Amino acid sequence: MLRTLTWFVVQRVLWSCATLWLVFTATFFLMRLVPGGPFQLDRNVSPEIRRNLIARFRMDLPLPQQYWEHLFRTARGDLGPSFTIADYSVNEILGQGFVVSSALGVFALLGALGLGVPAGVLSAAYRGRSVDRWVMLLATLGIAVPNFVLASLCILVFVFVVPVFPAGGWGTWRQLVLPSACLAAPFAAYIARLTRTGMLEVLGQDYIRLARAKGLRSSAILVRHALRGAMLPVVSYLGPTTAGILTGSLVLEKVFALPGMGSHFVDAALQRDFTLAMGAVLVYTLLLSVMMLIVDISYVLLDPRVKIGE
Amino acid sequence: MYLTRRPWFLLVTSIGFLGLFWSALRVGTLAPAEFSFANGADIKSIDPAIVTGHPEGRIINAVFEGLYRNLPAHTLPGYQPDGDPNRMVPQPAMAERYDRSADGLTYTFHIRPSARWSDGSRVTAHDFVWSWKRFLHPDTANQYVYQLTSYVSGAKAFNTSQVGPGDRVEVELPDRLRPYDPFPTGTMLYGVVRRRIEAPRPAMEGLRRAEQDEKLAEWHRRCKFEVDIVPVVRNDDEPHSTPQIDWAAAGERRVFAKQDALADDMGGPLEGHHPTEECLHILPHFDSSVGIRAIDANTFEVRLDHPTAYFLELCGFYVLYPVHRPSVERFGYPAWTRPEHLVTNGPYSIAFRRIRDRIRLQKSPTYWNAKEVALNTIDALALSSQTTMLNMYLNGQLDWIDDPPQTAIPDLRQRSDWHGGVRLGTYFFRLNVNKPPLDNVQVRRALNQALNKQQICESVTRAGEVAARSLVPPGLSDYQAPLCDDYDVAAAQQLLADAGYAGGRGFPRLEILYNTSESHRTIAEVVQQQWNQNLGIHVDLRNREWKVYLDDTQSQKYEISRAAWIGDYPDPNTFLDMFVTQGPNNMTGWGNLRYDEALAGSQQELDPQRRLELLAEAERILMAELPILPIYFYASKNLVRADFSGFSENLLDVHPLHLLRRRR
Amino acid sequence: MWELPRIDETKSYGHMLAEARAMRGTSLSRDAWTRLRRNRAAWISAMFLLCLSVLAVLTPLLPLDSPQRQYLGSGAANRQLLPPSWKGGRIEIDGPGGTIPLSVALRRYDELLRHSTVGAKVEVMHPFLRLWHDLRPVDYVLVRCRLRCFGDWCLPSWCGTDQLGRDVLSRLLWGTRVSLSVGAIAGCVSLVIGVFYGAIAGYFGGFVDAMMMRFVDVLSSIPFIFVVIFAITVLGKEEIRAELQRHGIERIAIFYLLIGAIYWLTMARVVRGQVISLRNEPFVEAARVLGAGHVRIILFHLLPNLISIVIVYLTLMIPSIILFEAFLSFLGLGVEPPNVSWGILANDGIQAITPLRSYWWLVFFPGLTLSMTLLALNFLGDGLRDALDPRLRQH
Repeated sequence: MLRTLTWFVVQRVLWSCATLWLVFTATFFLMRLVPGGPFQLDRNVSPEIRRNLIARFRMDLPLPQQYWEHLFRTARGDLGPSFTIADYSVNEILGQGFVVSSALGVFALLGALGLGVPAGVLSAAYRGRSVDRWVMLLATLGIAVPNFVLASLCILVFVFVVPVFPAGGWGTWRQLVLPSACLAAPFAAYIARLTRTGMLEVLGQDYIRLARAKGLRSSAILVRHALRGAMLPVVSYLGPTTAGILTGSLVLEKVFALPGMGSHFVDAALQRDFTLAMGAVLVYTLLLSVMMLIVDISYVLLDPRVKIGE
Repeated sequence: MYLTRRPWFLLVTSIGFLGLFWSALRVGTLAPAEFSFANGADIKSIDPAIVTGHPEGRIINAVFEGLYRNLPAHTLPGYQPDGDPNRMVPQPAMAERYDRSADGLTYTFHIRPSARWSDGSRVTAHDFVWSWKRFLHPDTANQYVYQLTSYVSGAKAFNTSQVGPGDRVEVELPDRLRPYDPFPTGTMLYGVVRRRIEAPRPAMEGLRRAEQDEKLAEWHRRCKFEVDIVPVVRNDDEPHSTPQIDWAAAGERRVFAKQDALADDMGGPLEGHHPTEECLHILPHFDSSVGIRAIDANTFEVRLDHPTAYFLELCGFYVLYPVHRPSVERFGYPAWTRPEHLVTNGPYSIAFRRIRDRIRLQKSPTYWNAKEVALNTIDALALSSQTTMLNMYLNGQLDWIDDPPQTAIPDLRQRSDWHGGVRLGTYFFRLNVNKPPLDNVQVRRALNQALNKQQICESVTRAGEVAARSLVPPGLSDYQAPLCDDYDVAAAQQLLADAGYAGGRGFPRLEILYNTSESHRTIAEVVQQQWNQNLGIHVDLRNREWKVYLDDTQSQKYEISRAAWIGDYPDPNTFLDMFVTQGPNNMTGWGNLRYDEALAGSQQELDPQRRLELLAEAERILMAELPILPIYFYASKNLVRADFSGFSENLLDVHPLHLLRRRR
Repeated sequence: MWELPRIDETKSYGHMLAEARAMRGTSLSRDAWTRLRRNRAAWISAMFLLCLSVLAVLTPLLPLDSPQRQYLGSGAANRQLLPPSWKGGRIEIDGPGGTIPLSVALRRYDELLRHSTVGAKVEVMHPFLRLWHDLRPVDYVLVRCRLRCFGDWCLPSWCGTDQLGRDVLSRLLWGTRVSLSVGAIAGCVSLVIGVFYGAIAGYFGGFVDAMMMRFVDVLSSIPFIFVVIFAITVLGKEEIRAELQRHGIERIAIFYLLIGAIYWLTMARVVRGQVISLRNEPFVEAARVLGAGHVRIILFHLLPNLISIVIVYLTLMIPSIILFEAFLSFLGLGVEPPNVSWGILANDGIQAITPLRSYWWLVFFPGLTLSMTLLALNFLGDGLRDALDPRLRQH
C-alpha cells in the first residue's frame, strides 16, 4: 500500500516538474512577445545607455541562450534579480510577500471553513425551511458582490462609522481582521453551498438510513456520519482555492495596503519585470501542484472506496 | 494498512498548516514611528546611482547628502527676508563653500571637515570622485546621467565609451567576481590607443537620429583597439588611492575587443600578430579626460564645458550624492544597500526595510548637523491606492500624504492641514507633427484655442492647478514665460476653417493616447468633449498600460499623447531642453533651428538676464508653433498633520524630512 | 411509483393503444419546464434577467440622456455629482453654434443632407454620433423612434450624476448592454471551445484524452490575469490592431473572445466527464454499429445529452465572467471609454466614497444592478440544475 502511495507521489512530482517546465516556457516567450520591454524607461534615454542597461541584465544575448540561462538558474532555485525592486532578488521579494499572503490566507481559509461548513450543514438539516433559504441567500450574495466593493464598504463601516479596526497596513493582528474577512466571504459562500449539496446527497444514502434506524441522534448522524462523505466536494474545491488564496489577492492588497504576493502578478506583468513575473507564476504553479496532490491523498482518507491511482 | 498511513499523512499536512499559521501569527506588534508618510509605490533602490523618481528621491535625500542641498531659503543661517521664504536654494551641505572661476567653468568645492559617514570615517573629495565616476560608468546606465554628461567636460565621452587613436584609456578585463555590479570590479589596465581597427560603417541614410545613434553605438562596440599598455605603480598601503600610472613608459602592445567584436573577422592581418583579447569596457582614462578630480582630501574640483547657472542646484540633486566606497566594493550591488551593510552620510540611516511595506528611518548620530534633526524615527510606507492613503491619514495611521483621491479634494482644500501650491510641473499633450493634419500649425493652434483649460482645472483636477499657456511653469524668479493663444472658440473655429476643415468637416478621426489612470482618462474625456463641442471634430481615446504607452510615445506611434514633465531643478532649461530637434524626450517629430540656436546660446551665456531672454526667445517659438498643447501646471496636494512643523510648500514639492519637528 | 397496468383481455387493442398514449406522460424538457416554473426563486430570477436583457436591447429607445455628455459649465449647466432627482430634462447637443435640442440638430442635419449635391460626400458628423459612441444601424433606428415617441424629453436623473455631470441612469443602462454582452458572448465562446474540446477528449479516450487533459491542466496552472494582461497588450499592438480592424474585429470583440478563451477549461473538464460516462451507453453503441462516424456520433448523439449540464454550467459561469470584467476594470484594463460597463461604474463609484463625503448613488446603483444580476444568474443556475437533472435534484 505504502509502495503504491510512494509511486503515486513520485509520478505526480515528475508530472509537476513537467508542468512547471511547460509553464516556464510559455511564460518566457509570452513575456518577450509583448510590446514595451522592462527597459522602456519613464524618460527616453540615449541608445547607448539603454544598451548598457540591457547588457547588465544579460538581455542582449540571443533568445535561446537567454532561455537556457534563465531555465538553469531557475532550476537551481535562483529566480534572479528583480528589475523593479532592484535591491532585492526575486526569491526575497516573493518570500516576504508569501509570508504576508499566507498569513492572510490561513486566517481566511479557517474563517471560510468555520463559517461555510456549519452553514451548509445547518442549511441541509433544515432543508426547505426559512433557515435554509436565508443561509442560501446570504451564500449567493457572498458570491455576487465584487470584493473591491465589499472591501470599501467594510472599511467605511468598521473603520469610520464604528471605529474598531485600522484602515490598512501590516504589522498587527488587528490589521488582519478586515482583509481576511473580505477574502473569506466568497469562499465561505461557496463552501456553504458545496457542503449543503454534498450533505443532501449523502443524507439520501442507505448508511444514513441505517444509522437513523439504529436510533442515533440526528445531530450525531449529521456530524459523525454524513459530514465526512459530504466533505468530498469541499475538499476537491479547497485544493486549487488554497493555492489561489495563499498567493494573495490583488484587490484586497491594494485596498488594505498589504505587502502580499498577489500584487506581483499584475504589477510585475505591467512593469515588464520579467524575472519577478516569472517567479510569481512559477510559485503559483508549484503551489497548485502541491495542493492538488494533497487533495488527491485526502480523498483516499475521506472515502475508503477511492483507491490511489484511479 | 489503511489506518497506518493515515497518521503519517495527517501529520505532514497539519505540520504544514501549523507552520503557515505560526508564520501568520508571528506578525508581532511594531512600535509606531514618530512620523509616518505615504511614499507612493515601493522604491526601486536606495542606490543614488540606480534610482529615478520622486519616492526614491525622498529616501535618498534623507539618508545621503551631496555637496549642496536644496533647502527652503528661510533655513539659511542669517537669512534676510526677501521674496518667497520657502523658495528652494542650494545650501552648503557636505561642502561648506565653493569657488567659481571667472569664466564660470571651474567649480572648486571645499568639503566640510565635520562631514562623516555613519561608520565614523570622513567624507572626502575622493568619495565624490569615485561616486561620480561610478554614476557615469556605462554599466550604471542611469537615465539621469545627462545631469553630468551635458555639463561636465569629458563626461559624455566616458559615459558612451568614445575612444580614438592617441587617447589614454582604461581597459577592464572580464574577470569580475560579481557580474551584476554596476561599476568596474575586474582587473584594470591603462594605456594609449594606437589604432582603431574599424568594423564596416553601417548605412545611415534615411534614418532618424535615434536610430542613427543606435547604429553608431552598435558599430562602436564592434571595433577593435590596439593599445600600448603602460605599467601601473600601485600604492599597496592605501587600497583605494588612485593608481600611479607611468604614461611615459614604453607600452606593451595588445589588442582588445568587446565580446560582440571578438567573433568578427576584420581589419586584415594585424601588426605583430597580437591575439585579440576580450575586454568588458574600454573607456577614456577617467582621471585625465573627465573634468572631475580631487585636489586633496578636502578639495573637489569640477570643470564644465559651458557655464551653467544652475550647477549648484544640480549638485543638490540626489543622483549626484556620494556613496561609501569601502562598503560598496566589499559587498557589491545590491548587498551594500541592505540596512545592515548600508553606510550613509545623511541625517538618517535605515533601521529596517520591508519590501512593499515600509522603510524605517532612524536618526543618524554621525550627521554633521545632527543637532538640528528633530525626529528620531520616520516610516516611509509604500502605498499605491489613493483612497487607502486618505483613509489611513484620516484614521491617524499616516501623518503626511501627497496624493489624495480626486473626489475628496474640494473638501480637503477647506481644511487647515491642506498644503497646496503650484509645482514645477506641466501637464500637456504632445502632438505628433508628422501625422497630418497635425503637421499644419493652424490645426495645432485651433486645437489649443478650443481647449477650455480653466474648466479642466476647476471641474476636474480641482486641487488648485493653474491653466497653462506656456510650457515653463510660473514661479521661477525673473523668468517671464511667453504665452500661447488663450481660449477662444471663435478664433479656433476660424483657424480650423482656414486649414480647410470648416466646422470640422472632413477632419480625420484622431486618437488621444494616455496611460491607464483614472485622472488621465477623465481629462481625455473632457478634452474629447470640448473639441467635439467647440470644433465639431471627433477624437477617440486610446488607453494603454504604462510600458506600452511609453513604447508608443517614444517611437512616435501616436497622434496626440498625454504627457507631463516635472522639473528636476528650478530653471526653465529643464523644460525647454526637452524640445531641441530630435532630443530624446522631444518625441513629437518637431524641430526648429532657431529654437535650437537660442537654447544653445543660453547655455554659453554668462549674463543671467541675457540667458533668460534667450530661453524666453526659445519658448516664444515653441508657443507659436505648438507641437505641444500645455494644459495645466501641477499643484501640490499635501496633507500634513498639524502636530508637525517644518513642512514648507515649495515649487519643487520637495520636503526634507530632517526639517520636520513635532510641535510642542 | 405507478403500477403496471393489468391487461384486461376484455378491452380491445385499440383501446389499449389509446391508454398507452395517454400514459406516455410528459417529455423530459416539459417536465423540466414545469419544475422550473415551480421553483419560485429561479422563476423570479429568470423574469428579472429577461427584463434586464430587454431593457439592455432597447436602451436606445428609452428617453435617456446621453451617457457621455458632460455638464461642466457654470450655474445650471454644471451638474457634477448631483444626487438622484425627479426633475426631467431635455436631450441637447452642444455644437460650435451653441446648444440646441437633439431633434433640431437632426432636422438641420437632414436638411443639409437633402441640399448637398448628389454624390458629394457629406463630411459633417451625424448628431447622434456626438451623443452616442458607436451606434449600430439598429440603434440608429431605435434612437429615431425614441425621438419620434418622446421628443427631446428625457427621464430625470433617478440615479444622480457622476463626477463629470453625466447621467448615471443612462450610463448604467448602456453599461448593462456591455456587461451582459460580455457575459453572454464570452460565455458562448467558452461554451463552444469547452464542449468540443471536452467531447473529443472524452469520446476518444486513451492517449488522446490523456494528452488533451494534460494540456488543460497546464493551462489552468498559469494565473489567469497574467495571460489576460499580456494577451490584451499583444492584441492591442498597432499592427495587429490594424489588421484585425480590417477584418471588422474591434477591441471590444477581442476582449469578449479573450475572456471566453480563458473560461473554457472548467467547461471542458465537465463535458469530458459527462461524455466518458455516456460513451459506452447502448445508444452510442447502437449508433456505432449502424455505421455512424465519430463526428456524427459526437454531434448528433452525444451533444444533445450534454445540453442540460452545459446550460447549468453556463449560467454559473456568466457571473464569474461579469465579475472578472469588473476586476479588469478595477485594474483599468477593461472596456475602454466612452464605452461603459458595470465594472467601470462600480469602480468609479468606489473611488468616490471617502470618509469625508459619500456620493453613495455612484456606488449604490451600479453595485445593486451588478449584485442583483449575479444573484439572479446564480439562482437561475441552481434552479436549472434542479430542473434539468433530476438525479442531482435534492428531493
